[in-house]
Amino acid sequence: MGKIANKLVIITEKILLKKVAQIIDEAGATGYTVLETGGKGSRSVRSSGQPSVSDTNSNIKFEVLTDNRDIAEKIADRVAVEFFNNYAGISYICEAEVLYAHTFCGPDGC
Amino acid sequence: MDFLSDFLTKFGAQLQSPTLGFLLGGIVIAALGSQLAIPDAIYKFIVFMLLIKVGLKGGIAIRESNLTEMLLPALFAAAIGILIVLIASYTLAKLPGIRATDALATGGLFGAVSGSTLAAGITVLDAQGIEYEAWAGALYPFMDIPALVTAIVLASIYTSKQKRDKYHKNEEYIRTETVAAGGYASEQIVPAGGYPTIDQRGTAGGYPGERGGSSGGSSSQPGDAPSQRVKIWPIVKESLQGSALSALLLGIALGLITRPESVVESFYEPLFRGLLSILMLIMGMEAWSRINELRKVAQWYALYAAVAPLLHGFIGFGLGMVAHYATGFTPGGVALLAVIAASSSDISGPPTLRAGIPSANPSAYIGASTAVGTPVAIAIGIPLFVGLSQVMM
Repeated sequence: MGKIANKLVIITEKILLKKVAQIIDEAGATGYTVLETGGKGSRSVRSSGQPSVSDTNSNIKFEVLTDNRDIAEKIADRVAVEFFNNYAGISYICEAEVLYAHTFCGPDGC
Repeated sequence: MDFLSDFLTKFGAQLQSPTLGFLLGGIVIAALGSQLAIPDAIYKFIVFMLLIKVGLKGGIAIRESNLTEMLLPALFAAAIGILIVLIASYTLAKLPGIRATDALATGGLFGAVSGSTLAAGITVLDAQGIEYEAWAGALYPFMDIPALVTAIVLASIYTSKQKRDKYHKNEEYIRTETVAAGGYASEQIVPAGGYPTIDQRGTAGGYPGERGGSSGGSSSQPGDAPSQRVKIWPIVKESLQGSALSALLLGIALGLITRPESVVESFYEPLFRGLLSILMLIMGMEAWSRINELRKVAQWYALYAAVAPLLHGFIGFGLGMVAHYATGFTPGGVALLAVIAASSSDISGPPTLRAGIPSANPSAYIGASTAVGTPVAIAIGIPLFVGLSQVMM
Protein backbone atom coordinates (compact mmCIF):
# COMPACT_ATOMS: atom_id res chain seq x y z
CA MET A 1 0.00 0.00 0.00
CA GLY A 2 1.49 3.28 -1.07
CA LYS A 3 0.98 6.71 0.34
CA ILE A 4 -2.06 8.57 -0.94
CA ALA A 5 -1.16 11.89 -2.47
CA ASN A 6 -2.64 14.52 -4.77
CA LYS A 7 -1.26 14.90 -8.23
CA LEU A 8 -1.70 18.38 -9.61
CA VAL A 9 -1.17 18.71 -13.35
CA ILE A 10 -0.69 22.09 -15.00
CA ILE A 11 -0.35 22.33 -18.75
CA THR A 12 0.65 25.76 -19.95
CA GLU A 13 3.00 27.78 -22.14
CA LYS A 14 6.69 27.09 -22.01
CA ILE A 15 7.59 30.71 -21.46
CA LEU A 16 5.89 30.50 -18.06
CA LEU A 17 8.14 27.66 -16.92
CA LYS A 18 10.22 29.65 -14.46
CA LYS A 19 7.28 31.61 -13.08
CA VAL A 20 5.13 28.53 -12.49
CA ALA A 21 8.08 26.71 -10.96
CA GLN A 22 8.56 29.60 -8.57
CA ILE A 23 4.90 29.48 -7.52
CA ILE A 24 5.18 25.76 -6.87
CA ASP A 25 8.29 26.27 -4.77
CA GLU A 26 6.74 29.09 -2.80
CA ALA A 27 3.66 27.02 -2.07
CA GLY A 28 5.86 24.50 -0.31
CA ALA A 29 5.69 21.53 -2.63
CA THR A 30 8.66 19.21 -2.27
CA GLY A 31 9.27 18.87 -5.99
CA TYR A 32 7.78 18.67 -9.46
CA THR A 33 8.26 17.08 -12.85
CA VAL A 34 8.21 19.06 -16.10
CA LEU A 35 7.60 17.58 -19.53
CA GLU A 36 7.66 19.17 -22.95
CA THR A 37 4.29 18.60 -24.48
CA GLY A 38 1.81 19.68 -27.11
CA GLY A 39 -1.80 19.28 -28.09
CA LYS A 40 -4.97 21.05 -29.00
CA GLY A 41 -7.20 23.29 -26.97
CA SER A 42 -9.16 26.50 -27.08
CA ARG A 43 -6.08 28.29 -28.43
CA SER A 44 -5.79 25.79 -31.30
CA VAL A 45 -2.98 23.38 -31.97
CA ARG A 46 0.20 24.18 -30.14
CA SER A 47 3.61 22.55 -30.37
CA SER A 48 2.90 20.68 -33.55
CA GLY A 49 6.49 19.55 -33.71
CA GLN A 50 7.84 21.77 -36.46
CA PRO A 51 10.89 23.78 -35.63
CA SER A 52 9.43 26.85 -34.11
CA VAL A 53 11.21 30.11 -34.44
CA SER A 54 10.66 30.98 -30.83
CA ASP A 55 9.42 29.21 -27.76
CA THR A 56 6.14 31.08 -27.76
CA ASN A 57 4.40 28.12 -29.32
CA SER A 58 5.71 25.40 -27.03
CA ASN A 59 3.88 23.83 -24.13
CA ILE A 60 4.98 22.26 -20.90
CA LYS A 61 3.27 20.01 -18.40
CA PHE A 62 3.97 20.25 -14.70
CA GLU A 63 3.21 17.34 -12.42
CA VAL A 64 3.29 18.10 -8.73
CA LEU A 65 2.70 15.54 -6.00
CA THR A 66 1.54 16.96 -2.70
CA ASP A 67 0.45 15.13 0.39
CA ASN A 68 -2.14 17.70 1.32
CA ARG A 69 -4.72 19.06 -1.02
CA ASP A 70 -4.38 22.66 0.20
CA ILE A 71 -0.96 23.11 -1.30
CA ALA A 72 -2.12 21.76 -4.65
CA GLU A 73 -5.13 24.07 -4.65
CA LYS A 74 -3.04 27.04 -3.64
CA ILE A 75 -0.72 26.44 -6.58
CA ALA A 76 -3.59 25.95 -9.01
CA ASP A 77 -5.29 29.15 -7.83
CA ARG A 78 -2.25 31.31 -8.16
CA VAL A 79 -1.36 29.96 -11.59
CA ALA A 80 -4.92 30.41 -12.84
CA VAL A 81 -5.32 33.93 -11.50
CA GLU A 82 -1.95 35.14 -12.63
CA PHE A 83 -1.70 33.57 -16.05
CA PHE A 84 -4.75 31.84 -17.46
CA ASN A 85 -6.48 35.02 -18.62
CA ASN A 86 -3.76 35.72 -21.11
CA TYR A 87 -1.93 32.47 -21.63
CA ALA A 88 -2.99 29.03 -22.74
CA GLY A 89 -3.39 26.75 -19.77
CA ILE A 90 -5.39 24.14 -17.92
CA SER A 91 -4.94 22.51 -14.56
CA TYR A 92 -6.46 19.47 -12.96
CA ILE A 93 -5.96 17.39 -9.89
CA CYS A 94 -6.15 13.67 -9.42
CA GLU A 95 -5.47 11.13 -6.72
CA ALA A 96 -2.25 9.26 -6.80
CA GLU A 97 -0.63 6.58 -4.76
CA VAL A 98 3.06 7.09 -4.28
CA LEU A 99 4.88 3.80 -4.12
CA TYR A 100 8.52 4.68 -3.77
CA ALA A 101 10.04 8.00 -2.86
CA HIS A 102 12.45 8.51 -0.04
CA THR A 103 11.93 12.13 0.80
CA PHE A 104 8.27 12.30 -0.07
CA CYS A 105 7.27 9.32 2.03
CA GLY A 106 9.66 9.76 4.91
CA PRO A 107 12.37 7.45 6.20
CA ASP A 108 10.06 4.50 6.78
CA GLY A 109 9.04 4.24 3.16
CA CYS A 110 5.60 4.59 1.66
CA MET B 1 16.69 56.67 -66.83
CA ASP B 2 20.18 55.38 -66.47
CA PHE B 3 19.77 55.47 -62.74
CA LEU B 4 16.59 53.44 -62.88
CA SER B 5 17.87 50.74 -65.23
CA ASP B 6 21.02 50.43 -63.19
CA PHE B 7 18.94 50.02 -60.08
CA LEU B 8 16.63 47.48 -61.70
CA THR B 9 19.53 45.30 -62.89
CA LYS B 10 20.98 45.29 -59.38
CA PHE B 11 17.58 44.59 -57.88
CA GLY B 12 17.03 41.73 -60.33
CA ALA B 13 20.39 40.18 -59.57
CA GLN B 14 19.55 40.17 -55.87
CA LEU B 15 16.42 38.19 -56.50
CA GLN B 16 18.52 35.25 -57.67
CA SER B 17 20.65 35.13 -54.56
CA PRO B 18 20.76 31.80 -52.73
CA THR B 19 19.41 33.49 -49.60
CA LEU B 20 16.16 34.35 -51.28
CA GLY B 21 16.07 31.08 -53.20
CA PHE B 22 16.11 29.04 -50.00
CA LEU B 23 13.53 31.29 -48.37
CA LEU B 24 11.12 30.85 -51.26
CA GLY B 25 11.98 27.14 -51.39
CA GLY B 26 10.97 26.81 -47.75
CA ILE B 27 7.67 28.55 -48.39
CA VAL B 28 6.90 26.38 -51.42
CA ILE B 29 7.82 23.11 -49.74
CA ALA B 30 5.71 23.93 -46.69
CA ALA B 31 2.81 24.99 -48.91
CA LEU B 32 2.97 21.63 -50.67
CA GLY B 33 2.55 19.93 -47.32
CA SER B 34 6.01 18.38 -47.20
CA GLN B 35 6.93 16.39 -44.13
CA LEU B 36 10.41 17.84 -44.16
CA ALA B 37 11.28 18.98 -40.67
CA ILE B 38 14.48 20.51 -39.44
CA PRO B 39 14.99 19.86 -35.74
CA ASP B 40 14.58 22.69 -33.32
CA ALA B 41 18.05 22.17 -31.92
CA ILE B 42 19.65 22.73 -35.33
CA TYR B 43 17.70 25.90 -35.80
CA LYS B 44 18.86 27.22 -32.45
CA PHE B 45 22.43 26.22 -33.16
CA ILE B 46 22.42 28.01 -36.51
CA VAL B 47 21.08 31.19 -34.97
CA PHE B 48 23.81 31.00 -32.37
CA MET B 49 26.51 30.41 -35.00
CA LEU B 50 25.39 33.29 -37.19
CA LEU B 51 25.07 35.79 -34.41
CA ILE B 52 28.29 34.90 -32.67
CA LYS B 53 30.08 35.32 -35.99
CA VAL B 54 28.45 38.71 -36.53
CA GLY B 55 29.41 39.57 -32.96
CA LEU B 56 33.02 38.40 -33.31
CA LYS B 57 33.49 40.38 -36.52
CA GLY B 58 31.87 43.36 -34.89
CA GLY B 59 34.02 43.08 -31.80
CA ILE B 60 37.20 42.88 -33.87
CA ALA B 61 36.04 45.88 -35.89
CA ILE B 62 35.24 47.92 -32.79
CA ARG B 63 38.67 47.12 -31.41
CA GLU B 64 40.29 48.53 -34.51
CA SER B 65 38.04 51.46 -35.17
CA ASN B 66 37.27 54.82 -33.79
CA LEU B 67 34.37 54.53 -31.39
CA THR B 68 33.09 58.03 -32.11
CA GLU B 69 32.21 56.91 -35.64
CA MET B 70 29.76 54.48 -34.14
CA LEU B 71 28.05 57.07 -32.03
CA LEU B 72 25.77 58.65 -34.63
CA PRO B 73 24.59 55.40 -36.27
CA ALA B 74 23.93 53.91 -32.82
CA LEU B 75 21.92 56.97 -31.84
CA PHE B 76 19.95 56.76 -35.08
CA ALA B 77 19.34 53.05 -34.54
CA ALA B 78 17.82 53.74 -31.14
CA ALA B 79 15.72 56.58 -32.56
CA ILE B 80 14.43 54.32 -35.34
CA GLY B 81 13.48 51.64 -32.84
CA ILE B 82 11.38 54.08 -30.83
CA LEU B 83 9.95 55.78 -33.92
CA ILE B 84 8.73 52.47 -35.39
CA VAL B 85 6.66 51.76 -32.29
CA LEU B 86 5.24 55.30 -32.34
CA ILE B 87 4.33 54.92 -36.02
CA ALA B 88 2.48 51.70 -35.21
CA SER B 89 0.65 53.35 -32.33
CA TYR B 90 -0.53 56.18 -34.61
CA THR B 91 -1.37 54.07 -37.67
CA LEU B 92 -2.09 50.41 -36.96
CA ALA B 93 -3.61 51.04 -33.54
CA LYS B 94 -6.11 53.54 -35.00
CA LEU B 95 -7.49 51.14 -37.59
CA PRO B 96 -10.92 49.64 -37.02
CA GLY B 97 -11.03 46.33 -35.23
CA ILE B 98 -7.46 46.52 -33.98
CA ARG B 99 -6.78 46.32 -30.27
CA ALA B 100 -4.25 48.85 -29.09
CA THR B 101 -2.16 46.30 -27.18
CA ASP B 102 -1.97 44.04 -30.24
CA ALA B 103 -0.91 46.99 -32.38
CA LEU B 104 1.76 48.06 -29.90
CA ALA B 105 3.14 44.54 -29.66
CA THR B 106 3.24 44.36 -33.45
CA GLY B 107 5.05 47.69 -33.60
CA GLY B 108 7.51 46.49 -30.98
CA LEU B 109 8.23 43.34 -32.92
CA PHE B 110 8.75 45.24 -36.17
CA GLY B 111 11.00 47.70 -34.40
CA ALA B 112 13.05 44.89 -32.92
CA VAL B 113 15.71 43.31 -35.07
CA SER B 114 15.88 39.92 -36.72
CA GLY B 115 19.20 38.13 -36.50
CA SER B 116 18.46 36.10 -39.60
CA THR B 117 17.62 39.14 -41.72
CA LEU B 118 20.76 40.87 -40.48
CA ALA B 119 22.84 37.81 -41.37
CA ALA B 120 21.21 37.64 -44.80
CA GLY B 121 22.01 41.31 -45.41
CA ILE B 122 25.62 40.80 -44.38
CA THR B 123 25.93 37.82 -46.74
CA VAL B 124 24.63 39.84 -49.66
CA LEU B 125 27.09 42.64 -48.96
CA ASP B 126 29.97 40.16 -48.60
CA ALA B 127 29.01 38.31 -51.76
CA GLN B 128 29.03 41.50 -53.79
CA GLY B 129 32.22 42.78 -52.27
CA ILE B 130 30.53 45.88 -50.96
CA GLU B 131 32.41 47.52 -48.15
CA TYR B 132 30.66 48.11 -44.86
CA GLU B 133 31.64 48.72 -41.28
CA ALA B 134 31.85 45.33 -39.61
CA TRP B 135 30.58 46.93 -36.41
CA ALA B 136 27.30 47.76 -38.14
CA GLY B 137 26.04 44.37 -36.94
CA ALA B 138 26.58 45.65 -33.42
CA LEU B 139 23.83 48.22 -34.01
CA TYR B 140 21.37 45.37 -33.42
CA PRO B 141 20.84 45.89 -29.66
CA PHE B 142 20.67 49.68 -30.07
CA MET B 143 17.50 49.33 -32.09
CA ASP B 144 16.14 46.11 -30.61
CA ILE B 145 15.97 47.07 -26.96
CA PRO B 146 14.50 50.61 -27.29
CA ALA B 147 11.77 49.24 -29.57
CA LEU B 148 10.76 46.48 -27.16
CA VAL B 149 10.93 48.76 -24.14
CA THR B 150 8.84 51.46 -25.84
CA ALA B 151 6.20 48.96 -26.92
CA ILE B 152 5.90 47.38 -23.49
CA VAL B 153 5.85 50.72 -21.66
CA LEU B 154 3.20 52.20 -23.98
CA ALA B 155 1.12 49.05 -23.71
CA SER B 156 1.14 49.06 -19.94
CA ILE B 157 0.30 52.75 -19.81
CA TYR B 158 -2.59 52.00 -22.11
CA THR B 159 -3.85 48.99 -20.15
CA SER B 160 -3.63 50.78 -16.82
CA LYS B 161 -5.70 53.61 -18.25
CA GLN B 162 -8.19 51.07 -19.57
CA LYS B 163 -8.27 49.42 -16.23
CA ARG B 164 -9.22 52.59 -14.46
CA ASP B 165 -12.09 53.11 -16.89
CA LYS B 166 -13.43 49.63 -16.83
CA TYR B 167 -12.54 48.67 -13.34
CA HIS B 168 -15.88 47.24 -12.35
CA LYS B 169 -16.38 45.40 -15.57
CA ASN B 170 -13.04 43.76 -15.24
CA GLU B 171 -13.82 42.73 -11.76
CA GLU B 172 -16.80 40.71 -12.89
CA TYR B 173 -14.99 39.40 -15.92
CA ILE B 174 -12.11 38.13 -13.93
CA ARG B 175 -14.35 36.25 -11.51
CA THR B 176 -16.01 34.31 -14.27
CA GLU B 177 -12.72 33.79 -16.05
CA THR B 178 -11.05 32.48 -12.97
CA VAL B 179 -13.68 29.85 -12.47
CA ALA B 180 -13.64 28.92 -16.13
CA ALA B 181 -9.89 28.81 -16.42
CA GLY B 182 -9.33 27.03 -13.18
CA GLY B 183 -11.32 24.12 -14.53
CA TYR B 184 -11.97 21.39 -12.07
CA ALA B 185 -9.70 22.73 -9.44
CA SER B 186 -11.48 25.97 -8.77
CA GLU B 187 -14.90 24.37 -9.00
CA GLN B 188 -14.07 22.39 -5.95
CA ILE B 189 -12.43 25.24 -4.20
CA VAL B 190 -15.29 27.66 -4.32
CA PRO B 191 -17.79 25.48 -2.46
CA ALA B 192 -15.11 24.45 -0.01
CA GLY B 193 -14.91 28.06 0.93
CA GLY B 194 -11.64 27.80 2.75
CA TYR B 195 -9.94 30.23 0.41
CA PRO B 196 -10.15 33.86 1.23
CA THR B 197 -7.23 34.43 -1.08
CA ILE B 198 -9.14 33.69 -4.22
CA ASP B 199 -11.55 36.47 -3.49
CA GLN B 200 -8.98 38.96 -2.52
CA ARG B 201 -6.83 38.22 -5.51
CA GLY B 202 -9.66 38.15 -7.93
CA THR B 203 -10.87 41.60 -7.04
CA ALA B 204 -7.64 43.25 -6.19
CA GLY B 205 -5.65 41.80 -9.02
CA GLY B 206 -7.64 43.24 -11.89
CA TYR B 207 -5.74 41.95 -14.83
CA PRO B 208 -2.87 40.44 -12.96
CA GLY B 209 -0.93 39.49 -16.04
CA GLU B 210 -1.18 42.96 -17.48
CA ARG B 211 0.44 44.50 -14.53
CA GLY B 212 3.23 45.44 -16.83
CA GLY B 213 6.83 44.63 -16.39
CA SER B 214 8.01 41.22 -17.33
CA SER B 215 8.62 40.38 -13.74
CA GLY B 216 5.03 39.17 -13.68
CA GLY B 217 5.16 37.74 -10.21
CA SER B 218 3.91 40.90 -8.58
CA SER B 219 0.22 40.23 -8.90
CA SER B 220 -0.51 39.47 -5.29
CA GLN B 221 -0.06 43.05 -4.24
CA PRO B 222 -3.28 44.99 -3.94
CA GLY B 223 -3.95 46.73 -7.20
CA ASP B 224 -6.76 49.10 -6.31
CA ALA B 225 -4.64 52.08 -7.09
CA PRO B 226 -3.43 51.58 -10.63
CA SER B 227 -0.14 53.06 -9.66
CA GLN B 228 2.01 51.12 -11.96
CA ARG B 229 5.31 52.45 -12.95
CA VAL B 230 6.64 50.13 -15.55
CA LYS B 231 9.96 48.75 -14.59
CA ILE B 232 12.23 49.16 -17.57
CA TRP B 233 15.22 47.27 -16.29
CA PRO B 234 13.53 43.83 -16.27
CA ILE B 235 12.60 44.31 -19.93
CA VAL B 236 16.14 45.30 -20.85
CA LYS B 237 17.51 42.42 -18.83
CA GLU B 238 15.20 39.94 -20.48
CA SER B 239 16.17 41.18 -23.94
CA LEU B 240 19.84 40.91 -23.12
CA GLN B 241 19.36 37.42 -21.72
CA GLY B 242 17.53 36.26 -24.84
CA SER B 243 19.34 33.69 -26.91
CA ALA B 244 19.96 35.98 -29.88
CA LEU B 245 21.35 38.97 -28.06
CA SER B 246 23.42 36.85 -25.65
CA ALA B 247 25.17 35.21 -28.58
CA LEU B 248 25.77 38.54 -30.30
CA LEU B 249 27.05 40.25 -27.18
CA LEU B 250 29.26 37.30 -26.27
CA GLY B 251 30.72 37.49 -29.75
CA ILE B 252 31.36 41.20 -29.44
CA ALA B 253 33.00 40.76 -26.05
CA LEU B 254 35.22 37.94 -27.30
CA GLY B 255 36.09 39.93 -30.40
CA LEU B 256 37.01 42.92 -28.30
CA ILE B 257 38.99 41.22 -25.57
CA THR B 258 40.49 38.12 -27.15
CA ARG B 259 42.05 37.55 -30.55
CA PRO B 260 39.57 35.20 -32.22
CA GLU B 261 40.69 35.93 -35.81
CA SER B 262 41.99 32.40 -36.48
CA VAL B 263 38.82 30.64 -35.36
CA VAL B 264 36.64 33.14 -37.19
CA GLU B 265 38.50 32.60 -40.44
CA SER B 266 38.76 28.83 -40.20
CA PHE B 267 35.40 27.96 -38.70
CA TYR B 268 32.73 30.65 -38.47
CA GLU B 269 33.41 32.43 -41.73
CA PRO B 270 33.28 29.41 -44.10
CA LEU B 271 30.18 27.97 -42.47
CA PHE B 272 28.28 31.25 -42.37
CA ARG B 273 26.69 31.22 -45.81
CA GLY B 274 25.82 27.53 -45.80
CA LEU B 275 24.15 27.73 -42.40
CA LEU B 276 22.32 30.86 -43.47
CA SER B 277 20.79 28.98 -46.39
CA ILE B 278 19.39 26.35 -44.00
CA LEU B 279 18.10 29.08 -41.72
CA MET B 280 16.36 30.73 -44.68
CA LEU B 281 14.70 27.42 -45.50
CA ILE B 282 13.40 27.20 -41.93
CA MET B 283 12.21 30.82 -42.03
CA GLY B 284 10.32 30.07 -45.23
CA MET B 285 8.63 27.00 -43.75
CA GLU B 286 7.81 28.89 -40.59
CA ALA B 287 6.37 31.78 -42.60
CA TRP B 288 3.96 29.45 -44.33
CA SER B 289 2.85 27.75 -41.14
CA ARG B 290 2.15 31.13 -39.54
CA ILE B 291 -0.01 32.39 -42.39
CA ASN B 292 -2.95 30.42 -41.02
CA GLU B 293 -2.62 32.21 -37.73
CA LEU B 294 -2.54 35.53 -39.49
CA ARG B 295 -5.76 34.69 -41.29
CA LYS B 296 -7.55 34.57 -37.97
CA VAL B 297 -6.77 38.18 -37.12
CA ALA B 298 -7.75 41.36 -38.93
CA GLN B 299 -6.54 41.81 -42.48
CA TRP B 300 -4.90 45.05 -41.47
CA TYR B 301 -2.02 43.12 -39.94
CA ALA B 302 -1.13 41.64 -43.31
CA LEU B 303 -1.20 45.07 -44.90
CA TYR B 304 0.86 46.60 -42.12
CA ALA B 305 3.36 43.74 -42.25
CA ALA B 306 3.80 44.18 -46.00
CA VAL B 307 4.24 47.96 -45.96
CA ALA B 308 5.99 48.54 -42.63
CA PRO B 309 9.35 46.82 -43.37
CA LEU B 310 9.90 48.98 -46.45
CA LEU B 311 8.76 52.17 -44.73
CA HIS B 312 11.02 51.44 -41.75
CA GLY B 313 13.85 50.59 -44.11
CA PHE B 314 13.49 53.93 -45.88
CA ILE B 315 13.58 55.74 -42.53
CA GLY B 316 16.75 53.81 -41.69
CA PHE B 317 18.17 54.56 -45.11
CA GLY B 318 17.43 58.27 -44.76
CA LEU B 319 19.07 58.52 -41.35
CA GLY B 320 21.95 56.39 -42.62
CA MET B 321 22.45 58.93 -45.42
CA VAL B 322 22.66 61.68 -42.83
CA ALA B 323 25.37 59.69 -41.05
CA HIS B 324 27.05 59.10 -44.40
CA TYR B 325 27.39 62.80 -45.06
CA ALA B 326 28.13 63.69 -41.44
CA THR B 327 30.68 61.09 -40.40
CA GLY B 328 31.43 59.08 -43.52
CA PHE B 329 29.30 56.02 -42.73
CA THR B 330 29.89 53.75 -45.75
CA PRO B 331 27.11 53.03 -48.27
CA GLY B 332 27.27 49.37 -47.25
CA GLY B 333 26.76 50.44 -43.66
CA VAL B 334 23.81 52.61 -44.66
CA ALA B 335 22.27 49.62 -46.45
CA LEU B 336 22.79 47.48 -43.37
CA LEU B 337 21.18 50.08 -41.11
CA ALA B 338 18.20 50.14 -43.46
CA VAL B 339 18.02 46.32 -43.42
CA ILE B 340 18.14 46.26 -39.62
CA ALA B 341 15.33 48.83 -39.55
CA ALA B 342 13.30 46.84 -42.07
CA SER B 343 13.68 43.57 -40.18
CA SER B 344 11.22 42.36 -37.60
CA SER B 345 12.26 40.15 -34.76
CA ASP B 346 11.50 36.46 -34.86
CA ILE B 347 13.77 34.96 -32.23
CA SER B 348 14.18 37.06 -29.15
CA GLY B 349 11.36 39.55 -29.57
CA PRO B 350 8.29 37.30 -29.31
CA PRO B 351 9.02 35.77 -25.88
CA THR B 352 9.90 39.19 -24.46
CA LEU B 353 6.68 40.70 -25.75
CA ARG B 354 4.62 37.69 -24.69
CA ALA B 355 5.83 38.20 -21.16
CA GLY B 356 5.75 42.00 -21.28
CA ILE B 357 2.34 42.46 -22.92
CA PRO B 358 0.48 39.28 -21.95
CA SER B 359 -2.90 40.53 -23.13
CA ALA B 360 -1.75 41.02 -26.71
CA ASN B 361 -2.68 38.25 -29.10
CA PRO B 362 0.50 36.47 -30.20
CA SER B 363 -1.16 35.26 -33.40
CA ALA B 364 -1.42 38.88 -34.49
CA TYR B 365 2.12 40.04 -33.92
CA ILE B 366 4.06 36.84 -34.50
CA GLY B 367 1.93 36.03 -37.53
CA ALA B 368 2.46 39.49 -38.99
CA SER B 369 6.19 39.38 -38.39
CA THR B 370 7.09 35.83 -39.34
CA ALA B 371 4.57 35.19 -42.10
CA VAL B 372 4.83 38.51 -43.92
CA GLY B 373 7.31 40.93 -42.34
CA THR B 374 10.45 38.80 -42.49
CA PRO B 375 9.92 37.47 -46.05
CA VAL B 376 9.22 41.03 -47.25
CA ALA B 377 12.31 42.37 -45.50
CA ILE B 378 14.54 39.64 -46.94
CA ALA B 379 13.02 39.32 -50.41
CA ILE B 380 12.37 42.97 -51.16
CA GLY B 381 14.07 44.98 -48.44
CA ILE B 382 17.62 43.65 -48.75
CA PRO B 383 17.87 43.88 -52.56
CA LEU B 384 16.13 47.24 -52.52
CA PHE B 385 18.37 48.90 -49.95
CA VAL B 386 21.62 47.30 -51.11
CA GLY B 387 20.81 48.34 -54.69
CA LEU B 388 19.73 51.78 -53.60
CA SER B 389 22.89 52.36 -51.57
CA GLN B 390 24.99 51.44 -54.60
CA VAL B 391 23.35 53.90 -56.94
CA MET B 392 22.74 56.72 -54.48
CA MET B 393 26.29 57.08 -53.21
